Amino acid sequence: MGDGNAGISSDVIRGYNDTMILHILRKGPSYGYEISKTIKNVTEGKYLIKETTLYSAFTRMEKNGYISSYESEGEGNGKKRTYYRITDNGQNYYKDKCEEWELTKDVVQRFIEGGEE
Amino acid sequence: METIRNYLESMFANLPRTADVERAKAELLQMMEDKYSELIEEGKSENEAVGTVISEFGNLDELAESLGLEKEVEEACEIIEANPRRMLILDEVKDFLSFSATRATSIALGVALCILSVNGPIFFGALGLENTGAVIMFLMIFAAVAIFVFTGLQSAKWSYFKKELCSVDYATSNYVINEKERYKASYGAQLVAGILLCAACWIPTVILDDVARLTGAGNDSVSVILLFIMVAVGVFLIIHTSMVMGSYNDVLKINDRDTMSGSYSRGSVPEYAGPAMEKVMSVYWPTVRTIYLVWSFLTFAWWKTWVIWPMAGIIFAVLKGLSKNSSNNAAEVK
Repeated sequence: MGDGNAGISSDVIRGYNDTMILHILRKGPSYGYEISKTIKNVTEGKYLIKETTLYSAFTRMEKNGYISSYESEGEGNGKKRTYYRITDNGQNYYKDKCEEWELTKDVVQRFIEGGEE
Repeated sequence: METIRNYLESMFANLPRTADVERAKAELLQMMEDKYSELIEEGKSENEAVGTVISEFGNLDELAESLGLEKEVEEACEIIEANPRRMLILDEVKDFLSFSATRATSIALGVALCILSVNGPIFFGALGLENTGAVIMFLMIFAAVAIFVFTGLQSAKWSYFKKELCSVDYATSNYVINEKERYKASYGAQLVAGILLCAACWIPTVILDDVARLTGAGNDSVSVILLFIMVAVGVFLIIHTSMVMGSYNDVLKINDRDTMSGSYSRGSVPEYAGPAMEKVMSVYWPTVRTIYLVWSFLTFAWWKTWVIWPMAGIIFAVLKGLSKNSSNNAAEVK
């Protein structure tokens, strides 16, 4: 477990929080804490998403029609939670973001010392 | 977990009280709870878990932006800067409540003394000591006035509770709600006992009257003295318990109703449609009680005046129903 996002400036990653969340939702509906835990596990603790960031992303994407929410007791302890699921719009948006990232990576990488992989 | 709840409530305290904000708060609390319970399961200490959850919470500016609340948050900040609210700490509120309890006893005692003072002339008058009776009556009234003045001077210290803009945090609110909840049984008992004593005050008179007629050895002054004692005790109970209850409500009404902190004292949904209706309803029962007591004492027709209660009950139910209906209709129109 790393000590959070010490190495990552939130300005840089902000544009890609949506991408991470949508990636997780493509595998099935999920709720707040589960998503933040998945992000932490996938990045091996190198990135911790803050609760406010996560919720802001939810509201923004819901407003834009990329995700929709519903109340569910879920499996397990039967606690009532808000679940989010990805919409068709969200699928398209995710693909766009992936292409954008490939381009961004390509552009930025040319200026990184140690050069192209 | 309580620490996390308090933290979240204090972050949200000055945000406007809207459905969006309520939802954001509930969602964030859910995420924080989930994280907290998992950290505890992993074997972290409570302090560690709370620290981690709070440090990873983030900040509200970001949230305000995505909720479209930047303007409101900024306005809230400006209002707070222009009219800073004095944050009352728990100890201060506890002091206020304990002072209020003492004050309730003092004022109720003063009023009871005024009522009892009539007994001076009656008792000593029956013994042929009219002057002594008058002196005793005035002494009792002086004592009552002294109590009123002294209590008034002491409560000046607490006048900022009502005059200044103050606010209480979530933990304090919770404490007061619990105390109020605990006091409710005693409140009901004292109120019922007080009203019954007043309502039954004529009984000794009637009984002693019968006894006097049968034995020819009655004493008018005894029955009148008993009547005033019962009324004095009854009034003492009513005033005392109403004032104590009032002090809890005073604290719970301190927060600005339009912000999230205004939701501490009640459920998230206001009970009545519109602030006007709520104001009417909040003075409804005190008004009924006052009418009842004034009417009863003016006419001494206690066997009649009780009809106020069932009538008031029915009117209350109707008003409540009407105000609920209108709020539902409003929601449908939207």
